Amino acid sequence: MEPRSDIDLVQEVRNGRRQAFTELMRRYQERVYWVARRIVGSHDDADDVVQETFVKAYLALGEFRGDSSFFTWIYRIAVNLSLNTLRKRQVLNYLHESELLSRILPSADDPAKELENSETHSALQRAVATLPEKQKAVFVLRYYDEMTYEEIGRVLKTSVGGLKANYFHALRKVREYMRNEIQDGEKPPHA
Amino acid sequence: MKYRMEKNPLTLEAERELTSEIRQLAGSPEAGETSRPADAYWQNLIIRINRKIDNATSARALSISWAARVAIPGVVAIVSFLVGLHYYVPDAARREPSVAEVLLALPPAAMDSLLVDPSRLDPSLSVEDVSANLFVFSRQQIAEYFIDNGNPGAAVDGISDREANTVLAVLSSEYKQRTGDMP
Repeated sequence: MEPRSDIDLVQEVRNGRRQAFTELMRRYQERVYWVARRIVGSHDDADDVVQETFVKAYLALGEFRGDSSFFTWIYRIAVNLSLNTLRKRQVLNYLHESELLSRILPSADDPAKELENSETHSALQRAVATLPEKQKAVFVLRYYDEMTYEEIGRVLKTSVGGLKANYFHALRKVREYMRNEIQDGEKPPHA
Repeated sequence: MKYRMEKNPLTLEAERELTSEIRQLAGSPEAGETSRPADAYWQNLIIRINRKIDNATSARALSISWAARVAIPGVVAIVSFLVGLHYYVPDAARREPSVAEVLLALPPAAMDSLLVDPSRLDPSLSVEDVSANLFVFSRQQIAEYFIDNGNPGAAVDGISDREANTVLAVLSSEYKQRTGDMP
């Protein structure tokens, strides 16, 4: 038996068959989780983003017109929610600093350092954490998910030219960060 | 090569070179990939999302039923009230006073002269007779009153145009009649 298409499942959900939405979640939960995790940088935030993404998608399924694929549509929700999470975090960090809580909380000046403090992360993730949010989103979708620029354009609603420029900036920054990190790691402790 | 990249950095080739360099760097022992959540996490995640959807849909249903039972009828009632207020109360306020109202506003002494038909004026007139005569007076009596008691124009200021015209017409004919009678 051939698996049903996303559009068929969406139609079934609209007809009241909730089980069809569970099938859609099974299909995309891991991909949505990873795109969120790579943007927000932590498991807990990614977990929140995935839940919110699917709840939002379920409630807004009536607005899904099928102009783009269900996958693109849900990715767009996930990326937007992930970027919102980053913004909220920045605001919270700012508030913490202004309330002198920075004395007891990890420093938020350097996002990569913050990430390093909260979880054990790879050098690549720390490098990604230093990117501005737009570059971060493009980098995650292109580098990890290997999406085409056209697909990313549909997710982020941006022109291909702008995306390419963003991706190149991101690649260069990540490369520099990693080169420096590895060089630092090779140095003797008290050199 | 470097020159070409600087000149035209957005080529697919340049992108591949950068990407492969990063992959090589990330592949070093120092830069391992983040650990994947356990398998149980994914099953549990679906259960948690379904629970959240249940909560969200029941909250939405509650808000819809609340709107249907309370908010919408309430709004309809308020709007109806305001519409009624706009169309009916101002009409009532704008209603022109009747001749009776105008006369009731007159000073008591003036009223006394109008209450009783002069033809039936008698010292033995009872209260019942007076009440029976209340506001039952002829045009002629009204005209006489206005002519005898000062400025007729001031008396008609507060009454409707129709009533004023009636009163003025009566006054005018009466006045002509009287002045015509005068030597």
